[in-house]
This record gives sequence, C-alpha cells and structure tokens, in this order.
Amino acid sequence: MSTLNVSNITDGTTTVGTSYVVNGSAKAWFQIIQDTSHTIEGSFNVASITDGGAGETSVTFTNAMANNDWSGVLTAQSSNNRRAVNNAPNTTRIKVEVYQVASNTSAIDASGGVSGQVHGDLA
Amino acid sequence: MTHLWDRLAEAKSRLEPVQSKYRVVFEDPATPDEPAKVLVPDPNWLACALEGNILPPIDTYQRDRNVEDGQPKEHPYAKPIGPMTEEEAIEYLIMKDIDPSIWRDYNGNRIIMKIVPVELIPSDRSFRNAWKINQEADERIAA
Repeated sequence: MSTLNVSNITDGTTTVGTSYVVNGSAKAWFQIIQDTSHTIEGSFNVASITDGGAGETSVTFTNAMANNDWSGVLTAQSSNNRRAVNNAPNTTRIKVEVYQVASNTSAIDASGGVSGQVHGDLA
Repeated sequence: MTHLWDRLAEAKSRLEPVQSKYRVVFEDPATPDEPAKVLVPDPNWLACALEGNILPPIDTYQRDRNVEDGQPKEHPYAKPIGPMTEEEAIEYLIMKDIDPSIWRDYNGNRIIMKIVPVELIPSDRSFRNAWKINQEADERIAA
C-alpha cells in the first residue's frame, strides 16, 4: 500500500487542509436489520453486533476509539415511528436502543433497520 | 506498522464480505433476568479474519481492556496475525467481544454460552425478551 503525503486538497477553486478530511471522516458506520434475522447489511470498522433483546443492539468496533467522547449519529429506518438512542457508549462499542417515538418505556425492534455512524478520534 | 484502521479500509476495497454460518448465544450470570443475547460476526470483519495479515493478535485486545481512556492502546499498532479458519475466527471474536466473566470465569453448572448454526436461531421475534438458552441436550437452543 502506498502513501500520498499532502497537506491540502483542492478542486481548483476551493482548498481544504487534509486534516479536515481525515478528522471529518466517519471512523465507523453500519446498517443493521433488527426485526427478523438481526444481520449486518453494511458496515465499516465493525467486528460484531450483539442482539441483546427486542430493539437492543450493541455494535462493537474492530479498531477502538481513543476515548468515549466520540459522536454517534443513529437513524431508525422504520415506518412505525421509531427513534434510536445511543445508550452507554464506551471506547469499544455503541449500544443502540430503539423506542417508539414519544415513549421510552421499553425498547422495540425497528422494522426497517437501524443505521449509524461514529465520528471521533481513533485509538 | 500500518494502522489497523488503514488496513481495514484497504481490505474493504478488496475483499468480499463473508456471512458467518455461526452465532454465539450467551447469557450474563450477573443479570439473570435479561434474555439470552446473540453475537453476530460482521461479514467484513470475517473476511479480514479469513484473509489474514489484517487483524491484530487477540491478546492485544485483552490487554487493552485495562488501558485507561485516552491512553495509547496496543491493538491498532500490533503486527497482524495470519489467516484463521471460520471456527478460529469465532473463538477470537468471543474473546474479543464477550466479557471474560462469561467465557472464562464462570464456574456455575448452568450452560451460559453456545456456538450454534445460524439456522437454530428462532426467526420469530415475537417473544424475543423471553429467550433463554435451552439447557436440554437437543437441537433447540432457545425458546
């Protein structure tokens, strides 16, 4: 594998420092199905998922984050008014819980799956 | 040594994902009222495990469990290991992603972890929160 060492990238009009691109890239992403087979449809930097019960999935990274100050963005892809919550994150995983919108009584599977991405510093 | 994340990015551009034929069903003895959990290997991760020269040694992850947040971790910079069989990859993943209190330290007489074919996981999730590992010695693993 070769390395291209540059400090700036330009399209001929706009120039941006390479560090902006590197720091702005998602360090992990995933799309998972919860309500039938509990499988991973697509991912990067994910080692496994753990089906912890209805509406609960832990996504464990292959390369851990440096600390638990990373940012996780989740979307419940469902036509049944679901919302996804990032619960108890740490450096090695994101724990996804899905609830009915306007309710946080008990988690419930997202019928269309859950997608997410993680931004932050890698270990 | 190339950073692990860079090796994963390069591998993703080259390797086809591999769906595992196994699942790991486990219960946490510290929370006996919770349903059984199911560990699902990531297809891109499994492709890296089968390919070799991408993933770090498993003991680096185990030592990194005791590293404080913000301190350098060993696994991103460790020399990668060679190719694994799918069965070896599942064992690696158990040691990496399941708490040692389940696969290493448990001394009770209840079965709390099983590696099973994916076909034995129920497809009907209507009563998902009632799943427990079947303690009988037959093909059903949860009910």
